[in-house]
Amino acid sequence: MSTAAPPVRAPGLLGWITSTDHKVVGMSYMVTAFGFFMLGGALAGIMRAQLYSPGSRLVDEETYNQLFTMHGSIMMYLFIVPFAFGFANYIVPLQIGAREMAFPRLNALGYWLYLFGGLTMVSGFLTRNGAASFGWTGYAPLSDELRTPAIGGDLWLLAIVLTGLASVMTAVNIVATVLSMRAPGMSMFRMPIFTWNMLVTSVLVLIAFPMLTVASVMLLSDRQLGTRIFDPSGGGEPLLWQHLFWFFGHPEVYIAALPFFGVITEVLAAFSGRPIFGYKGLVAATFAIAALSVGVWAHHMFATGAVEVGFFSGLSFLIAVPTGLKFFNWIGTLWLGSIRFQTPMLFAVGFLLLFLIGGLTGVLLASPPVDYQMHDSYFVVAHMHYVLFGGSAFALFAGVYYWFPKFTGRLLSEGWGKLHFWMMFVGFNITFLVQHLLGASGMPRRVATYRAIDGFTTLNRVSSIGAALLAASTIPFLWNVWRSLRRGPVAGDNPWDAHTLEWATTSPPPPDDFDELPPIRSNRPVWDLNHPEHPELHR
Amino acid sequence: MPEPATEQGDRVASLWSGMFIAALVVGAIVWGLIAWALIRYRHRGGEAAVPHQRASNLPIEIAYTAVPILIVIVLFGFTMATDREVKELDAHPDLTVEVVGYQWGWSFRYPAQDLEMVGDPTTGDGPEMVLPIGATTRLDLVSTDVIHSFWVPRFLSKRDLIPGRTNEMDVTPNRAGTYTGRCAEYCGLDHWRMNFRVRVVPQEEFDRWVAAEQDRQS
Repeated sequence: MSTAAPPVRAPGLLGWITSTDHKVVGMSYMVTAFGFFMLGGALAGIMRAQLYSPGSRLVDEETYNQLFTMHGSIMMYLFIVPFAFGFANYIVPLQIGAREMAFPRLNALGYWLYLFGGLTMVSGFLTRNGAASFGWTGYAPLSDELRTPAIGGDLWLLAIVLTGLASVMTAVNIVATVLSMRAPGMSMFRMPIFTWNMLVTSVLVLIAFPMLTVASVMLLSDRQLGTRIFDPSGGGEPLLWQHLFWFFGHPEVYIAALPFFGVITEVLAAFSGRPIFGYKGLVAATFAIAALSVGVWAHHMFATGAVEVGFFSGLSFLIAVPTGLKFFNWIGTLWLGSIRFQTPMLFAVGFLLLFLIGGLTGVLLASPPVDYQMHDSYFVVAHMHYVLFGGSAFALFAGVYYWFPKFTGRLLSEGWGKLHFWMMFVGFNITFLVQHLLGASGMPRRVATYRAIDGFTTLNRVSSIGAALLAASTIPFLWNVWRSLRRGPVAGDNPWDAHTLEWATTSPPPPDDFDELPPIRSNRPVWDLNHPEHPELHR
Repeated sequence: MPEPATEQGDRVASLWSGMFIAALVVGAIVWGLIAWALIRYRHRGGEAAVPHQRASNLPIEIAYTAVPILIVIVLFGFTMATDREVKELDAHPDLTVEVVGYQWGWSFRYPAQDLEMVGDPTTGDGPEMVLPIGATTRLDLVSTDVIHSFWVPRFLSKRDLIPGRTNEMDVTPNRAGTYTGRCAEYCGLDHWRMNFRVRVVPQEEFDRWVAAEQDRQS
């Protein structure tokens, strides 16, 4: 609960370890998640080097299988969602005028479980037989102790349990904070869209992650205690794993997307000088996506021939409607605006263009006859990267450039930021656009190499060259952060003329967040304060 | 999508081209709106007036909710019709082949002809499945260990092989040729090596091949 006096902090390392300040925990999440992002990216770099030539022996099959398993696992479990939690920890209390999270100690515990869970997962690389190698989806019975005996698999499962617990703790905290710690005047329908989306995301986390935790414990029991839950030779059912996993896994995709839809909404409004178009419709769309997302899991299982395709296909088509609705809300926000193309906005525009491709290929994959061809091919790899990288990761960088001045008090350089954006945008498209063609022409995913006669060489070369550019785009970003922390221009409270409450306090905010709060009479109190003669209009 | 080599594949290809065009049209419209907004409403230097603050427009909001619902209903209708056609199982298939997947290879059994095709362990080449053109072949898909997936890209379809159950699919090849097949479901160490071939030949040639193989295998 909020306290009158700011908590006393120990100095240095001890201060960081013992801190329960939501801003410190949030920053810890972001820095840690970015570290995992670079590790996961490095693994992908080795894979793209291997796939540059047919029959390449840069790494052997076993190593390659560990690489793609850990790449997917790191990006899904240790990067994209934890980074969103970092944003949420830092920003949500500020956006609703709270001075802390509801449960600061639980919050810190969640971070430490996440950090050590993540280290547990990657520690598999240090064991004699290497890290987990059964894919980030851990399909049974390949993932049992007979087919994948290495201890790396058990470390992977333990890590899933630990980081899953951390996610549940964070989600509980965000729900409690949003529901009970809002400042006077901050009614639900005056909350910023990012806060709304974190609330809905957190509810989804509470539905989905316990399922994954339970499934992981069941698999661990098969591996370590001799049960036969997923093993058909002992009366078990391998498809049960897929149902449990995807009942987590499909909401997970939206858990990895909704926070970033929120970031984009904030950035588009701020950089067009416009209110959010169709605010209530946008909130309703978020709820609709969340509700539908728990009913589409078996569209990952069309090719099993063991699911009722009509139900899952129909709901998968339907979920495109609220997602499409968001696009029109975003266009409506831009419309009539006065759009400034600073770096956060460039990344937001990149998100709009790329995520649309991922969304449209998602609609194609919702059709079972199309999916029978494309499933488990590079088409799906391309689709998923357009959603999670072209979508979520571009939005993530939009958020980093947008909130960096709030976090640090300094602006990032525009020049380096634009270089970062263009390298990432071009590199991303070269890498992943051609993978649609590779998949449609017959290249399966998760293959350690391919034969020259398969005819996949040229497109793989193009993809690998793009990946080099994509990887290199991180250099200007890191340099930008490094130099701006020291020499960046001082930002002031609100460098973007943004609208929401986090921009009412100093940059960085004081330990108890606000010296005083402006009056809250709409969903953009800071805009109202700065432009009292221009309230939002409804005709 | 590659050129289909089966009747079922032809149906998938026409569904695909319809849906792909629909996606392209929707994508072009949305990209166009984004591009127009970005260019038309860009900040034009100087201290411009505060932009218009209109934040809703109910008729437009209803339209952009209703139109996508109609689009996906139509797509769903075509999808389910095609799904029924390509998954239909013939009551009396002309030929039955049992496809067995294992780590890391395939074998193709022809129970009525008493044949079994296996790969060449010395070269690592996968086995060859020979099918008569125009005949409906039932594939019974079984796995002896982990989950695999039978995928001939030119058939425009795949189906998983799941230990403990038998999956069935019918293929009716309508173009002669030799097609590469691959395992699509990641199945461990040598997953990438699980290749095979399907050779589609006229009925007479198939009959000659059966006779020759029966001689060779007995």
